[in-house]
Amino acid sequence: MTRVQFWNIESGWLFYLLATVALAVFAVGALHRISTWRKDGKTSTLLGGGGLWTFFRDGLLGKRIFRNDPKAGIVHQSIQWGFLALFLGTILLAIDHYFAAFLQGGPYSVFSFALEIAGLLVAFGVVWALIRRLFLRVPRLENRFSDLLPLVWLLLIVITGFFVEAARLAANPQNERIVSFAGSLLALAFPSPEASRSLHAGLWWLHAVLSLGFIAYLPFGKVFHALAAPASMYLEGQALARVIVGAEFASGEFSLRTGVGMDACARCGRCVEQCPAHLAGEAFNPRDAVRQGGRYARLKNSPLFKLPFIKSRAERELAKIKASAEQSVWNCATCGACVEQCPNYVSPLDYLRELRGTVIEDGRNVPALVTGALEGLYKRHNPWEAPKSKRGKWAKGLEVKDIPKDGQAELLYFVGCTTSFDTRAQEMARSLVAIMNHLGEDIGILGAKEPCCGDVARALGEQGLFQELRSDTLNILELYGVTRLFTTSPHCFHTMRNLYPWKDDGDGKHAPVQHYSQLLCDRIQRGALSFSRPLDRVVTYHDPCYLGRHNNVFEEPRLVLQSIPGVKLVEMKNHHRNSLCCGGGGGRMWQEIEGQRKISEMRIEQAVETGAQLLVIACPYCLIMLEDARKTAGVEDVLEVKDLSELAAEAI
Amino acid sequence: MNIVVCVKNVPEVAEEELEINDEGADVEREELGFAINEWDNYAVEEAVRIKEALGGKVTVVTIGNDDDEDVLRRSLAMGADEAILVDGEDLAGVDASAVSLILSRVLKPLEFDLALCGAQAADDGFGQVGVALAERLNLPYASLVTAARVGAGKITVDRELESGMYETVELGLPALLTIQSGINEPRYVSIMGIRKARNAEIKNLSLDDLDLSEDDVRGTANWFESVEMSLPPEGEGAEILSGSLDEICARAAAIIKEKGGLG
Repeated sequence: MTRVQFWNIESGWLFYLLATVALAVFAVGALHRISTWRKDGKTSTLLGGGGLWTFFRDGLLGKRIFRNDPKAGIVHQSIQWGFLALFLGTILLAIDHYFAAFLQGGPYSVFSFALEIAGLLVAFGVVWALIRRLFLRVPRLENRFSDLLPLVWLLLIVITGFFVEAARLAANPQNERIVSFAGSLLALAFPSPEASRSLHAGLWWLHAVLSLGFIAYLPFGKVFHALAAPASMYLEGQALARVIVGAEFASGEFSLRTGVGMDACARCGRCVEQCPAHLAGEAFNPRDAVRQGGRYARLKNSPLFKLPFIKSRAERELAKIKASAEQSVWNCATCGACVEQCPNYVSPLDYLRELRGTVIEDGRNVPALVTGALEGLYKRHNPWEAPKSKRGKWAKGLEVKDIPKDGQAELLYFVGCTTSFDTRAQEMARSLVAIMNHLGEDIGILGAKEPCCGDVARALGEQGLFQELRSDTLNILELYGVTRLFTTSPHCFHTMRNLYPWKDDGDGKHAPVQHYSQLLCDRIQRGALSFSRPLDRVVTYHDPCYLGRHNNVFEEPRLVLQSIPGVKLVEMKNHHRNSLCCGGGGGRMWQEIEGQRKISEMRIEQAVETGAQLLVIACPYCLIMLEDARKTAGVEDVLEVKDLSELAAEAI
Repeated sequence: MNIVVCVKNVPEVAEEELEINDEGADVEREELGFAINEWDNYAVEEAVRIKEALGGKVTVVTIGNDDDEDVLRRSLAMGADEAILVDGEDLAGVDASAVSLILSRVLKPLEFDLALCGAQAADDGFGQVGVALAERLNLPYASLVTAARVGAGKITVDRELESGMYETVELGLPALLTIQSGINEPRYVSIMGIRKARNAEIKNLSLDDLDLSEDDVRGTANWFESVEMSLPPEGEGAEILSGSLDEICARAAAIIKEKGGLG
């Protein structure tokens, strides 16, 4: 028993002709899509880091698809594995026909049975997918033509496939086989063997046209994600959030990973579900941003849009899309919730930051507040309206070494712009100095000479300014002999730890940059620091995005908190990797964004829901945002907001 | 439309604690940061916008030393095409009349349809250079311009008057305008943009090139000399409120009401 190629089909050559046409269209389409995949020379390398394992775990097993929605995992993997099996089956048949006939007898039965299951799996997955979209109305799923077309098309392919098999079986009743059980069942509905034979040819061509058509259509719809997603997963090892220096590309272009991401997006909407800006009712969501970005990049780069008859229309649409994309580019808080969720490792965060770079370089559409912050950074080395000379004033009256005046220290306390100037956040600095003095450690600050780490400049897309600030900071650190430092802000921590080129002293273990929560945790674990004054309160802890999600520092602050006697810690609905942003990052601290509500108030609501009396944070932005939000939300009497450093200082 | 814009590099004084220098007639400028005069920035933006709409060339001019090149490079990054630096090393402290003389010598040989100056400079605040320059060049002019619309061979502008009133004036080209702040929203100039302008050529002119001697400038043309500058006297009149937060708020509200601050 074996599969006879082109059984009952005349003009088999026509199939090859159609296949060639289909492949040609596919090739043109693929070229059109990957016109956004611009190799900009610095961020792209074919080898290097982590990608292969991600590709296997997420690309084949679909790990992230199961997260929070296991049914989605079952649906998608049924379709994916079924389809891959059928595809593999076609290849094996070709090998069997042209090279070495091995699909006969026993092996053929196994083969046939496997493909039967595969076909049913695809049908099962597609039908359930359509039910989820059209009847269950799963909120994050859209029902655009481009979402439904591929599903319906696949369903037709699979159905016609089974019908072809049924017709063939009905026309050859002597070949009744159990392995093709679905086909056999369907064959019962077919008429006489002669009639079935004529039906078979028609059905076969229908199935062929649908299948080849699908291949041709593939690059033009979102199904292209099937090819782009593996590339995106592979490039995950080069995630820009973690990629270092040298990854600065000529601004105005998107990095390779972002270009790939535009095609890898399957419009699943998991990013939308978690995006704080979207949840606050702002006119923005990461899915739309990436979709728009892809269209924009293709209009700009694709050879198809340069064809004479379409060129001027494309240019007009490009201008419109550019204007629209640039307007909504400032909502992103760079919190990374979207990056965390995406099963295809797309980063709307990086796309938006890169697009901001384009807007910045052009200069004409930069909101006035952003300009103000950037000019402040350039002139005064801080995004606030504060003069450089006042930077160390918070330390007045405190005993702390001013390194430029008093000489080198073992450990630098890098205070940061916001902590230096904001009156509420200054308490964090005073608390940390008190703790370090209590510990008797040799620390120092840079006082008025302290530079800016550059995080805000980078978040707003001003790469050039970020590079200048970084270079200034490195020079100052070198000038004053700084070898180790800890920061108040997770933003300074993230930027200096991941985006600064530290000279490799061979000891990779001792990161020269720590967040204060890591330092305190270390001292507690070493037995140097302990807390004697109890704090008998129920508290909840807010994971700052740049400490937790971006840098995996979750347990250290909790350990410090729970070392204070009497503290009872409860978790909010969104905690650890799923923490809900305070809304202050990504340059939002310097913007006025319209939404139905404030992101920070949503977080305060979650805190109040836990029944805790005290909300603890470990970041100056979060402190300012949440301190304000508890007042505007009217829960001042119910909930207090304090920083971890303040609690620690009070508990000594 | 060929446009010439006169720009000045001025000290940044917001939030700074100023000191009078040893000579007693100016502030100590050593420690201060410098930036383009705000009104001139609006003027450059306006010039670039007109050029982007109608074509042509924008030339920026400044008087100063090598450090002052920064304002020219920034203007080039904004979209200006050419830059001229007049060596003003020994010209510190000259008045608006002298400055306008120098500028008139620079502009005379240039072919332009429009000359723009900022309405005033942030440091000495004379508000005279633009107008004096127009007189020396015999150009029609309008000052405190808040809107400009180019027509065929003419330009129509709105001039800011008092109490929200404005006057619309039509001038034949070539003309000179002094630009009031708020006429537009100046574009952001990125660091990378400025870096790209770092290699642009700047034309250097000396007083000699302009057929001027230092005596011409400081002597004849300079009518005004600063004799003394002093900081305002520290006054009294600041009442520090004390008490609980509620008490302070009540007292503050009462004071504001008393002084007519609440409608």
